[in-house]
Amino acid sequence: MSKPLAVIGRLQYDAHTRIIDVETGFTMDQVVEACLAPAVGYQARHPKPGATLLVRPTTDTDDAEPFPRTMTVEEAGLRHFQQIDVFVPQDQ
Amino acid sequence: MALLERSSWYDIARDTNWTPRYVEIDELFPPDQSDPYGIPIEEWESFDEPYKVSYREYVSVQREKDAGAYSVKAALARSRYYEDADPAYLSMLKLHYGAIALSEYAACQSDARMTRFSKAPGMRNMATFGMLDEMRHGQIQLYFPHQLVTLDRQFDWAHQAHHSKNWAAIAGRHALDDVMMTRDAVTTSVMLNFAFETGLTNIQMIGLSADAANMGDFTFSNLITSIQSDEARHAQIGTPVLKILIRNGRKAEAQQAVDIAFWRIHRLFAILTGIPMDYWIPLDKRDRSFKEYMTEFVGEQFERQLLDLGLERPWYWDIFLEDVETHHHCQAAATWAWRNTLWWNPTGNVGPRERAWLEHKYPGWNDTFGQYWDVIIENIRAGHPEKSQAIGMPAICNMCQIPISNKGGTVWKARAHQLDHEGRLYSFCSSVCKWIFELEPDRYKTFNSIADRMYNGEISPNTPENILKYMGAGVISPVGTDAHDLAWAFA
Repeated sequence: MSKPLAVIGRLQYDAHTRIIDVETGFTMDQVVEACLAPAVGYQARHPKPGATLLVRPTTDTDDAEPFPRTMTVEEAGLRHFQQIDVFVPQDQ
Repeated sequence: MALLERSSWYDIARDTNWTPRYVEIDELFPPDQSDPYGIPIEEWESFDEPYKVSYREYVSVQREKDAGAYSVKAALARSRYYEDADPAYLSMLKLHYGAIALSEYAACQSDARMTRFSKAPGMRNMATFGMLDEMRHGQIQLYFPHQLVTLDRQFDWAHQAHHSKNWAAIAGRHALDDVMMTRDAVTTSVMLNFAFETGLTNIQMIGLSADAANMGDFTFSNLITSIQSDEARHAQIGTPVLKILIRNGRKAEAQQAVDIAFWRIHRLFAILTGIPMDYWIPLDKRDRSFKEYMTEFVGEQFERQLLDLGLERPWYWDIFLEDVETHHHCQAAATWAWRNTLWWNPTGNVGPRERAWLEHKYPGWNDTFGQYWDVIIENIRAGHPEKSQAIGMPAICNMCQIPISNKGGTVWKARAHQLDHEGRLYSFCSSVCKWIFELEPDRYKTFNSIADRMYNGEISPNTPENILKYMGAGVISPVGTDAHDLAWAFA
């Protein structure tokens, strides 16, 4: 059963890190949507309109492997307040 | 009867040390409240304050200062200055009084601890005056805004902020509790008198005083100049304490105390001072930029004092210099976007002329912070001012309790520095706040940020309305709105 979980979203080019409410059953595509919702059109622009955004765990070097788009939050093992990047991959 | 010269009796009069016969020295001066460094008491007796004052002189000078400040206040009140003042300038006053007035009372308790628990008799003497100073500062900075409550209820936050759970008040209390309220007398002196008051108080008091005078607010300008003259005196308690610590092999501990306190207070003062200086004061009234003040008062004066004492620049000096050009811009944007959480009315005030000034003072501003404001201005001009009000919550630093933000745009530096400690993930705005936590995790680990409280049941349900109510926003006074009704967005 899906449960609520708060993660910290780091949307590419956004000046803020934000608390994002998701569900453990959310796919990464749904996580992307949840991260965009409070930011894009308010204080930030879409990092690259039309591009598909991916999710990866935040690391110091910004080079972690992205999670598969259909992977769920639970499958990814995301924890309460874990920080994730929402970004445009280099090949787009 | 002729009076003796002060120099012929001062040292005897202030030397109140005695040898206890009925209690042990550690009972009289418990190390955890007095001196945990084990400095011999003879060393403390060598404490020599650079600024000498007798009680008679102190009372006389303080009376004159108060009389001056109150007479200027009375004169300006007759001119109805505040009724006609720029609303953004009034916001600077609301922010200042809410943040500072009761902090002064807190500092009074810190000085009282030094008065009671310092082993150095000269330090106890100086701290007594410091205690009285801070009491005066608390009283005068509660009294002055109180007359303005009838003009604007937000001025009531001078009395209310420290008793509230507003996020900004939590940030202030967390830092002040850490630096002033929960340390032994020696460490408190290094952190408060040296790092805080010598290092950073100038920027709040002298910088804002110049801007206030340019605005014609001689009441506030005179008030904080009066306060600063006290600060400059009792701040000097810290220097002899540092000399004694260093002479007795405690340089590393002294350096660490300076490094913690300097960073913690800088994070607050950049918001308190940097935002008004660089955003709210009208362009033609600005004295200097925040960065220019910091460069002079901190980058040059304080740095030189550190080095003269034999201490080093804090290890994070490069990070600090970058923060001086970043943090207050981020928080100018964040506090404005989340203005419904505030007890003051910020202004965006980033019209074309202001942006040109910001770009000149902070090269690259338009490509980073400017992009943030571009989106906001587009929404306002398109007839969607409601989209200029942020929704959701920013992540909050588990040390400074301030939103975790940094440069946006293509440089994209916004990032939480995270730490897994005993199974809990903590988030920090910077490697410095994280470093402070890691030095002493047991000291900080149980404190819950406003974000933590949204998810641990303390704010329940954690709806936007309930979160605002929890913070006192809309309860104690109307919530913050744009001070200029968004007019700047059409400039």
